[in-house]
Amino acid sequence: MPEEISGKTVFSLYEVAQGIRATLAKAYPNSYWIKAELNKLNYYPHSGHCYPELVEKRDNKITAQMRSNLWREDYRRINAAFIQLINEPLKDGIKILLQAKIEFHPEYGLALHILDIDPGYTLGDLEREKQESIKRLKEEGLFTRNQELRMPLLPQRIAIISVESSNGFADFMKVMENATTTWGYSFFHLLFPSLLQGDKAVDSILQQLNQIKKVAKHFDVVAIIRGGGGDIGLSCYNNYKLAKQIALFPIPVITGIGHATNQTVSEMVAFENAITPTKLAEFIIQRFHNFSIPVQKAEEKIIDKSKRILEEERAKLKTAGKLLVSVFGRVVFNERAQIRQGIKILCLQTGFILKTNKEAIAGIPKQIGKGTEYLLGQQLQQLELTTRAMHRGGGVKLKDSSQGLIRLMNQLQQMAILGLKENRLALQAVEKNLENLRPEAVLKRGYSITRVDGKAITNSAEVNPGDLICTTLHQGEVISIVNPSS
Amino acid sequence: MKEQISYTEAFEELQTIVSEIEEGEISVDELSEKVKRASALIKICKNKLSSTEEDVSKILKELEKGTDKP
Repeated sequence: MPEEISGKTVFSLYEVAQGIRATLAKAYPNSYWIKAELNKLNYYPHSGHCYPELVEKRDNKITAQMRSNLWREDYRRINAAFIQLINEPLKDGIKILLQAKIEFHPEYGLALHILDIDPGYTLGDLEREKQESIKRLKEEGLFTRNQELRMPLLPQRIAIISVESSNGFADFMKVMENATTTWGYSFFHLLFPSLLQGDKAVDSILQQLNQIKKVAKHFDVVAIIRGGGGDIGLSCYNNYKLAKQIALFPIPVITGIGHATNQTVSEMVAFENAITPTKLAEFIIQRFHNFSIPVQKAEEKIIDKSKRILEEERAKLKTAGKLLVSVFGRVVFNERAQIRQGIKILCLQTGFILKTNKEAIAGIPKQIGKGTEYLLGQQLQQLELTTRAMHRGGGVKLKDSSQGLIRLMNQLQQMAILGLKENRLALQAVEKNLENLRPEAVLKRGYSITRVDGKAITNSAEVNPGDLICTTLHQGEVISIVNPSS
Repeated sequence: MKEQISYTEAFEELQTIVSEIEEGEISVDELSEKVKRASALIKICKNKLSSTEEDVSKILKELEKGTDKP
């Protein structure tokens, strides 16, 4: 009850609070459906109660703000409904449709007492946000940007955004390490730890992506790996900012977030998305296989094909060799026969020529000797004459000598002709003598020739008594028998 | 003979040689040269498969430098 103090009616604070409570309860007797943004959930794990901070924004400015209470049992029920329907827990930053009573508590003031939250409304809102992210990225031409990058043939150097203690990371590493021991593939990885789900994941992942960007030249690929957390709390991957950063990242970003429900925007824009971290590791290993197998095959193919080429060439060579031997053998045979024939002819001709020339040559020295002797004699004579003329003439001119010489020559010529004439006369005499000696001439002079058996007899001893002899006279013959008694 | 050829180039060149040899475009005269080249390329590829040359401490140092900037 109010009191009178110094002529004033004074209420206690409690009385005011009670008054407000009563008034509000009267004015707002029912519960109401209210739409608001869940700015902060303010969940207290110890008590299990939440004190959500609700706001309404217009153009990113807060136009209304109110505290609320969500008691433990209500929270559990509502949270379960959210997870079941949209795979998201109640969390900061979502839009909710809540059923609440307006309550005023003297000690804590005004607050909305949340009785229920409709997960269907939030689902629609999240889906709308997702669709908006997709639409915006597509409009800005960023949606396929990361997929247009060229991944190195061997994604060996991997920047991993994950949590070291998570199952997803362990699964991923297990496959990679197995590939190293089984096939000898070599990897390098560096872990960039980050939150991977819930509303804080966006900023955490963005921060690590910025870190990796600074050292991007050391990496071939960024792998965002999450696993073991079920399908809950993945709406952060629909965040426009995160998806844009992934799309614009300078090197390929691959995701293995591990869930069975709809793909998130981040996964859509990633270079490659695998359902699980294990599958993501297998994707990388497959790249290695795609490189390694052709290299192995190349080795085999080249060896095999080279052998075949060499064999073919060898066979060709062998055939060609055989052909060559056969063709050239015949040619050589023919040529050899011709050459032999040629040699024979050459020998004969050479022999003949040699013989002829030998005779001719043999005569030459004699001729040369004679000629030389004669020429020498003449020269000597002339020399002598000349010398004599020169001596004799003394101062007589050369003309005189030459005239003398001509005269001398004429004399010589005349002497020679004279000599020849004398010789001819002598010869004629000899010829006459010879004529006289001819048998006919002798027989004419009365001589005769006696022959026995056609043979001329010069000695009587050559004739025996009784021989038939034939006596040839100048004209006719007489046949007689040698007296057998004499 | 250390060639500054990337493993990607080596891989592509190797594929070219393989297809050439498969399609019979390589004569016996070129064969020895091509086989020599191919084996060098195969070596480059195999080395790459089994080795990486990154240094964690170097990357971390670069990261620190980057973070110090305002």
